[in-house]
Amino acid sequence: MISRTKFIGAVEIGTSKVSVLIGELSQGSLHIIGVGECQSRGVIKGAVADFRAASEAAHTALMAAEQNAGVRIDEVYLAQTGGHLDGFYNEASVNVSAADNLVSAPDIDTVCRLAKAKNLPEGRMVVHHLRRPFRLDGRSVPEPEHLVGQRLEVGYWTVHGQEGKIADNIHVIRGFNIRVAELILSSLASGAMLAGAEEKQNGVLVVDIGAGTTDYVLYRDGCAQVTGVVPVGGGHLTNDLSLGLRVTEGQAEKLKLRFGRGTVATKDRAEKVWLNGDFAIGDRQFPRHTIEQITAARTAEIFEVVRKKLGAAFSSEKTAAGLILTGGTAKLPGIDEAAARVFGVPARLGEAPGWVAENLRDPGFSSVLGLLHYGLSARAEMAPSRSRPRAPGWMRKLFATA
Amino acid sequence: MSQSKFNPPSTRSWRDIPQQVKPRTMGREGRKRFFLAVGNLVGLVLLLGACGWGVYEVVSLWETDPRRITAPTKGVPIRDMTVRTDGVLDKDWVRRTLDLPKGTSLMEINLAELKGRLEAGRQVGKAVVERRFPDMLLVTLQERTPVARLMARSGDAEPQAFEVARDGTVYSGYGYDEVMLGSLPFIDGVRLVRDGSGFAPIEGMDVVADLLGTAQASAPALYRSFKVVSLARFALDRTLVVKSSEVEAITFGASQDSFYRQIARLDYILSEVPAQATSGQLKSINLAVGDRQVPVSFENAPVSPGSHRAPAAQSYGTGPSLGAALFQPPSRNSTSSSKRDF
Repeated sequence: MISRTKFIGAVEIGTSKVSVLIGELSQGSLHIIGVGECQSRGVIKGAVADFRAASEAAHTALMAAEQNAGVRIDEVYLAQTGGHLDGFYNEASVNVSAADNLVSAPDIDTVCRLAKAKNLPEGRMVVHHLRRPFRLDGRSVPEPEHLVGQRLEVGYWTVHGQEGKIADNIHVIRGFNIRVAELILSSLASGAMLAGAEEKQNGVLVVDIGAGTTDYVLYRDGCAQVTGVVPVGGGHLTNDLSLGLRVTEGQAEKLKLRFGRGTVATKDRAEKVWLNGDFAIGDRQFPRHTIEQITAARTAEIFEVVRKKLGAAFSSEKTAAGLILTGGTAKLPGIDEAAARVFGVPARLGEAPGWVAENLRDPGFSSVLGLLHYGLSARAEMAPSRSRPRAPGWMRKLFATA
Repeated sequence: MSQSKFNPPSTRSWRDIPQQVKPRTMGREGRKRFFLAVGNLVGLVLLLGACGWGVYEVVSLWETDPRRITAPTKGVPIRDMTVRTDGVLDKDWVRRTLDLPKGTSLMEINLAELKGRLEAGRQVGKAVVERRFPDMLLVTLQERTPVARLMARSGDAEPQAFEVARDGTVYSGYGYDEVMLGSLPFIDGVRLVRDGSGFAPIEGMDVVADLLGTAQASAPALYRSFKVVSLARFALDRTLVVKSSEVEAITFGASQDSFYRQIARLDYILSEVPAQATSGQLKSINLAVGDRQVPVSFENAPVSPGSHRAPAAQSYGTGPSLGAALFQPPSRNSTSSSKRDF
């Protein structure tokens, strides 16, 4: 068997920055060998608005990563986010075809195809089909083949998005003449990286708060149940500060990073903080309580929107593992407290696994790290089903009727 | 719902988005990568094409003229030539015969052809030509040794002397000592047959070589007196007739007796004849009839035997000018005073 080293690029074209990681895939093991980052341009709320500007930014980050790794990327796993993404749940059921009620592979294929077979509105495209556990006569089973039952059910959470916006995202990478091998939802990437198998089984909500969007995924029974994107992020906190304090976006960003909080902690309403702290002309003071109030209000609002979008799918009782926060805005102090208040479950900042290098442990990298993790896992799952030899039709018929 | 009736609706996936992008929509780096990839592809195709063409050329060359395959592997020009021989040929002769163009490299020469050139003159019995890298040619020669000479003419040309080797090969010798050549007897009584640019080998020359070699080794004086060796009767009765400066015809038998004994008898006779006053000039001696008696003939009739050394020869006259006698050589323990040592 010929073993070939492949260099995979994980790319996230975010609203505030473009992140690229290069993984060296050799004999089944992955090593991260290159990092590239660049300030994003031409991207609004996770969607490409200016193709040329977005391409330049993405290509700069790709080149930086390639130079850092000293190799050329073979293919790319691309993160997909944006307010245009949506999802729905659809399930299907079939009667087990065999006389002895033994579930066969064709039964599974049929029920899966039925569950995925729902027409999308014009101009929409599927990004992911996320399967929930099978149910055989009402009981949940991870793998129903060769089990005995009469009725087999399965449900899929289908993530879909606007065709044009997905294509724009892909074409930015194709402009660098690299093939996009996998398109992965940002929230799934972050969740794959930060939530463990046990947490997914017990129920956990992963919320990735970026600059332009907030992506979330709710896991239960070991599977992703619901995903979603809210087109609100850390950029809105900056914007609120800019409007509320009458400062520029840059100044507001500085204030957010230095004094912003997810909850109001300052008791003294008279406490003031300096804008720059260098006593230069133009430097001025702002009430710290006000800054915290503005950022906390917007943070709480983001969580409330997420909670509202989750609706009945979320319940604190069924989310025993709590809530994991990640993304650049998750670095805001007190944001976990704010999340816990809104969702009523324990919240914590996501931590990358121990094998991740120190410079990549920042929450801003969890999504791009997860791209490699999720992409390789998905490919590994697809490989056996692709390589499974299919028996000829007459043979299947012969054994089916035996 | 049965599987056969199931037709999934068209749900388009992101994988349906065509990823083919025209170069003009690519970024600068993307275009660079694109053209590099195209260049690599073209290069690969050209490389494969060149490999295929090369294989085709080699195969076709191998089928048509395999010797040309070595031509492309030119090496350093031949700088020196070493000649090893067991004869008289020298490096100049070899160089002239090979006639290699100046600057010829070792890998360009055809060893078989050079060997053929060296052996074409027939003085060389066997030639071995070897490459000694990086720039030397080694020529090893095994030469024929002449045992006799032969006068022959080619067409209307003047008769020319050729040398004849033991194996009957007739060739025009080069580099031999003139004195040595002058001492070689001529061959007569043969019919030369053309064989290519030369002559076919003469049969019976091995017997002639044995006779002459024995004579040269045991009785050099006798050998020097041999002028012509005739093979005219060899095919009939395997006898050789030698014309010497003393006797017109000395007949040697190839199958009767050893040449050593025949030459001993000849020497005895030649030494006895002057001692007998009755003897005339010797005309013929026939050593081929046996070892008991040797018929000899004289130009003049011999005087009646018995006057001086009667037991040595019995003569019987046939005429006034021609006589004949039978010599009885002495026994092995005879102590004749005229016996020569050989």
